[in-house]
Amino acid sequence: MSADVSALEPQAKEILARYDQKQAAMLPLLHLVQEQVGYIPPEGEQWVSEKTGVAVVHVHEVVTFYTMYRTKAIGRCHLQVCTNLPCVLRGAESVLAYLKERLGIDVGQTTPDGKFTLSSVECLCACEIAPMAQVNDRYVGPLDRAAVDRLLEEGGHVL
Amino acid sequence: MPTLTIDGRTVTVPSGTTIIQATDQLGITVPRYCYHPGLTIAGNCRICLVEVEKAPKLQIACYTPVADGMVVHTGSEKTLTARQEVLEFLLVNHPLDCPVCDQAGECELQNYYMDHGRYEARFAEQKVKKSKKAAVIGPTVVLDQERCILCSRCVRFTDEISKTSELGIFNRGDHAELDVVPGKTLDNPYSGNVVDICPVGALTDRDFRFKARVWYLSSSPSVCPGCSRGCNIDLHYVLDRPYLADGARVMRLKPRYNPAVNQWWMCDEGRYGYKFIDQARLVQPVSRLDATAHPLVWDLAMTEAAQRLEEAKANHQLGQWGVLPSPQMTNEELFLVRQLFQERLGVACDGRVAERPGSGDNFLITADKSPNRRGLQALGLAGTGGATLVERAMAGELKGLVVFGHDLVALYGEAVAHKVAQQVFLIYVGSNDTATSRLAHLVLPSAVYAEKEGTFTNCDGRVQRLVKAFEPLKGSRGELEILLDLARRVGAPLPYTTASEVFSQIGPVVPAFEGLTYGTVGLQGAPLTTAQAVSV
Amino acid sequence: MSFEPVLSRRLGRAAGTWYDAYAADGGYEAAKKALTAMTPAQVIDEVTRANLRGLGGAGFPTGKKWSFIPKNSSKPVYLVVNADEGEPGTFKDRYLLERDPHAVIEGMLIAAYAISSHKAYIYIRGEYVEAYRRFCRAVEEARAHGWVGKGAQGVWDWEITVHRGAGAYICGEETALLTSLEGGKGFPRLKPPFPAISGLFASPTIVNNVETLAAVPPILRRGAAWFAGLGTPKQGGTRLFSVCGHVTTPGVYEAPVSVTLRSLIEQHAGGVRGGRALKAVIPGGISAKILTASEIDVAMDFDSLMAAGTMAGSGGVIVMDDTTCMVKALWTAAKFFAHESCGQCSPCREGTGWIFKVLTRVLHGQGRPQDLDVLLSAAGGMEGKTICVFADAAAWPVQSYIRKFRREFEQHIATGTCDLTRDYADAHH
Repeated sequence: MSADVSALEPQAKEILARYDQKQAAMLPLLHLVQEQVGYIPPEGEQWVSEKTGVAVVHVHEVVTFYTMYRTKAIGRCHLQVCTNLPCVLRGAESVLAYLKERLGIDVGQTTPDGKFTLSSVECLCACEIAPMAQVNDRYVGPLDRAAVDRLLEEGGHVL
Repeated sequence: MPTLTIDGRTVTVPSGTTIIQATDQLGITVPRYCYHPGLTIAGNCRICLVEVEKAPKLQIACYTPVADGMVVHTGSEKTLTARQEVLEFLLVNHPLDCPVCDQAGECELQNYYMDHGRYEARFAEQKVKKSKKAAVIGPTVVLDQERCILCSRCVRFTDEISKTSELGIFNRGDHAELDVVPGKTLDNPYSGNVVDICPVGALTDRDFRFKARVWYLSSSPSVCPGCSRGCNIDLHYVLDRPYLADGARVMRLKPRYNPAVNQWWMCDEGRYGYKFIDQARLVQPVSRLDATAHPLVWDLAMTEAAQRLEEAKANHQLGQWGVLPSPQMTNEELFLVRQLFQERLGVACDGRVAERPGSGDNFLITADKSPNRRGLQALGLAGTGGATLVERAMAGELKGLVVFGHDLVALYGEAVAHKVAQQVFLIYVGSNDTATSRLAHLVLPSAVYAEKEGTFTNCDGRVQRLVKAFEPLKGSRGELEILLDLARRVGAPLPYTTASEVFSQIGPVVPAFEGLTYGTVGLQGAPLTTAQAVSV
Repeated sequence: MSFEPVLSRRLGRAAGTWYDAYAADGGYEAAKKALTAMTPAQVIDEVTRANLRGLGGAGFPTGKKWSFIPKNSSKPVYLVVNADEGEPGTFKDRYLLERDPHAVIEGMLIAAYAISSHKAYIYIRGEYVEAYRRFCRAVEEARAHGWVGKGAQGVWDWEITVHRGAGAYICGEETALLTSLEGGKGFPRLKPPFPAISGLFASPTIVNNVETLAAVPPILRRGAAWFAGLGTPKQGGTRLFSVCGHVTTPGVYEAPVSVTLRSLIEQHAGGVRGGRALKAVIPGGISAKILTASEIDVAMDFDSLMAAGTMAGSGGVIVMDDTTCMVKALWTAAKFFAHESCGQCSPCREGTGWIFKVLTRVLHGQGRPQDLDVLLSAAGGMEGKTICVFADAAAWPVQSYIRKFRREFEQHIATGTCDLTRDYADAHH
């Protein structure tokens, strides 16, 4: 992490400049660390603590509170399937079951080759394309078996 | 100043007072978990919800400021129902640990359940499992996350009071967990306070763990002797169950609220520094004229001491005697030293003795590790100049030295202490076994602070009472008794029998103490007339 | 649908409407009018008389909220845009952010001027990556054209910081949003003080929803009376309704606020899919109390839905046909609430978890006779006792589904299953 920190300094400075008080840069700085490292390691929390002036314990609180921050690496392709009501009404559980079957993993797990991580998430507010999922940054839906097959095919080539 | 009605009683309070502050003033108990007067308001436990007429919902008493004409019901059906509902929620995931939990007997979940709960439990699911149970998180504290009701008092404590920010609440919802940052420990000079403020058994004291059930404990108010702050404390002790804690009497210390001194807090060094009360005590007088120690009965020991002094008096050699009074002694004891030795016998009393080095902080801890240096100074025993008595003893100028508690070996080194012991007849009056008590020619075992009535004067010049919790251990005696006995034996009897009598006689003689009696000092202390806040 | 679209004019363009096209469509004229021909007080007055109400869900009158800002405050005044859309069944803010961001920016500028704010933060939920990128692009376009930065129209200095959340539904609650924006966990705050007095960085703050702000430029361009006249006497204008679930064409549909629920379902969204029978509808996001098929002739404005025992909320309409197991539906809702409870106060933290566990048992055939009483008791115990209304929102579905579909719950408890058979495994277990 220490080697990476210097690479993040210019962006950190630019982020801090956008906020009236430095502790408000907490969320964007954590996103920055996670984009760089793939997750937020303890050194990352320490670095954000120094930049924001917030004690490390409270940085860790933030990391564990929000769903999007993670403290461990995941697969290159993160399949986040919505299992909230509008998506369940349109078949989300079949989609999830099919994904588990195709990937051979359960929710919360990563395939042994490190390609896919499967998560179940709450409403992504894209109910018009239910049942849907967020794949890394992208919203995809409506999903049926064919759409899932295509998704896994292209996901295998995701960096 | 708003006037409001609480449970039918009218009260006028300053603007800005919260309902819970008003009820506390009136002696009406509104239950609380997250509220603590020494910390910021969190408002998350919801147990203090009360009915306020004209408000659409119940209001939390801890946060709601009173208003003129407000009408509050702390015991209405709505209030009591809400209380029971909140309790039920708190107990949903709470483990049935009472049989193994140290908090039993002083647990606010137990207490409020007995007062306001008593419902048929309906939760019949699997309780949430958390990561740490009975986990040591630092040198003084054990954490049990399942017992935690997430009131956040301890988090606020480490942020606002110790300012060390070790504790946080991680995750969210019913998976929230109190913990230290991974890889860190709860290790600051005030860590023990989180155990006091934890309303349940989530944070418990390692030192006290499984020692005794709290309903066996008796309590006596006193003052911590660990430094010159004089934090007010309660001694918690057991006398009638010697099978507990290897027969020790004192089980633990707790801070006692005093807004002028320590508020609700005390430091760890003071809190855990009580072991000397029951360990390594001197319990029998000893005479050591050759190299061996001969136990003596008190009468013979006192006779020896008196004879030495009378001999010196007869030979006009009292000027070659000295007394080293200690800033660990009470005002009363020091006053008797002054009257007997300095005034009646003309023996030099000089408190200029080396101190063990220490540092203070900008909160409660002072660098001066003695509880009554201000008393020593106010009573004129702090020395006036010239060579100190230890220096004079080293130079062969003294024939006799009465040392009250100072461990000369620890303070000056073996060589100096041995030389002094060679030059003088060394009388040692002290409570615990030290290298010096093993050198002295006559050892008179004395009481510790817990065994005395007396007062200390803290660094701010505040005089505070020690209340005697129990008798001196086995064969030890209070310095007051020793000095009164000695005074009688050397033909200079002093007209007191109790510490209270001694204390009320100080004021007429020492202007700084004017007007002070045990009545005026009370249990929250009172300042010397010359008191200024001085950090010693 | 013979009315002229107001909020949805440009939402049909999937690639989004960018500066030139927006300006060509009358964009930024309202802002220019506000900044150069109106005082802040006049702007507030116009918005007040338009009867615009908060479209995030609370329905508080917008102009009235703006008027709460203390005049001559020694602290800076902040405008915070709540783009933390999270209410299940709702997606209209996402459409505005992605496809018509300048409408939001223009509304923000007018609002900032009205409340004397020189600094705006927009808090976009973390998962809305595309919306974030597009909105940032629009901000830079606006800046390039002199609408953001120093001296917008030579009149108003103001800046926008675009801020991303990190995944927590509770941050849609305005005080939790502020605490999150300040770098903390999304814990709602004790009130008072309200944000207009002490909000972001303990300074006077107005928090407005995306759609609410998008409605401001049309109000200024065409007048308060016009906007008010589109709706009811107490709620002016149109609204973007998000219709989803078992309809033929899920999507965003604009209609006057007085449109009926039946009309939204049958005329706008193509009716229930496959011609099936309607069973139940949630009219305003997952927290809204459920309506049965016979209760859909109700107008969709805040006051009508409140009178009908539910709420307009976020305008998210979730439609359920007769393949839906109501126990499953409630279980899914309970799962959501248990996952999203911030955990700060005891009734919500423990109550949402407890309710979910009981429903899990009931759903999987291990229900007990007293379970419905326990569920209703836990729900009632949470109501009105917490720091924010999340707990109440979690209680309402439990109370309304059991009340209106009690037979299904009793059947699950008595027999361990329910007799609905269907094609999709998902509507059942």
